[in-house]
Amino acid sequence: MTGFVDAFTVLAVGSGAIFFLAGTLGLLRFPDTLSRLHALSKADNLGLGLIVIGLLPHATSVSAGLKLACVWLLAQLSAATASQLIAGVARNRRPRA
Amino acid sequence: MNAVTGARDRTALFALLVRAAGFLVLWIVLMGPSLKDLPLGMVAAAAATWASTALWPSDSDVSVVGVGRFVLRFLPQSVAAGVDVARHAFKPSLDLEPGFATHRTALPPGMARGGLCAVMSLQPGKLPVAVARDGTIEVHCLDVRQAAAGPMAADEAAFTGMLRDGMRNA
Repeated sequence: MTGFVDAFTVLAVGSGAIFFLAGTLGLLRFPDTLSRLHALSKADNLGLGLIVIGLLPHATSVSAGLKLACVWLLAQLSAATASQLIAGVARNRRPRA
Repeated sequence: MNAVTGARDRTALFALLVRAAGFLVLWIVLMGPSLKDLPLGMVAAAAATWASTALWPSDSDVSVVGVGRFVLRFLPQSVAAGVDVARHAFKPSLDLEPGFATHRTALPPGMARGGLCAVMSLQPGKLPVAVARDGTIEVHCLDVRQAAAGPMAADEAAFTGMLRDGMRNA
C-alpha cells in the first residue's frame, strides 16, 4: 500500500514539475508579454495542483492536508488576479496592432 | 414593512456571522489550532469580514448547486489550459497566433465582473486584459484560430449560475 502511495506521489509530483518546466519554457519562448502570461498563469497552476495532489497522501493530519489545498487555492486566486493586472499594464504600454 | 426590514437585517447579520466563521476556520487551517492564538484569529477574521463586505455585499448569496456545477466545469478546463500551454511550449517550432477577441458581459461592474475575468484567465487560451464601461471584455487569445466566443459565453453562463440575485445586480 505504501509503495502504491509513494508511486502515486512520484508520478503526480513529477508531472507537476514537468508543467512548471512547460511554464518556464513558455515564459522564455512565447513571442510577447501577454502570451508569456498565459504560460505562467495556466501551466504553473496545473503544476502546483499536481504537486499538492501528490503530497496530500503524505499529509500528517487533516489540518496539514487542508493547508496544502488552501495554498493551491490562494496561489490560483493570486495568479488569476496578478496576470490580469500585468496584462492590463502591458496592453496600455504598447499600441495595439 | 418594519417586520420585513428586521427579517432582512437578521438574514444579513446571519450571513456575516457565517462568513466570519469561515474566515476563522481558514485562519485556524493556515496557522494551526492553538487556543493561545485564537483571540488573534478572531480579530483577523473580524477584519477580513469587514474588508470582504466592500467586495461582496452581505445580502448576496451563492447557489450551492451552481458552485458544484461550476467546479465540475472549471477543474477539467483548468487542466486543459495547462496542457494546452505545455503542448505549445514543448513544440520544437512555435505554432501560435496571438491576438485579441471581445466578449460582452451582462454582469454588472464590481466583484461579479472581476470574478468572471479571474475565472476566464485560468481557462484555455484566454486572458482578459481590459473591461470597458459597457461591459465589453477585451480578451487576449493565445491562438486566434481557435474559437473563443462560444467558450467565453459558456464561461459566463457557468459563473452566473453560481450567483443569486443580490450578487448578479451588485
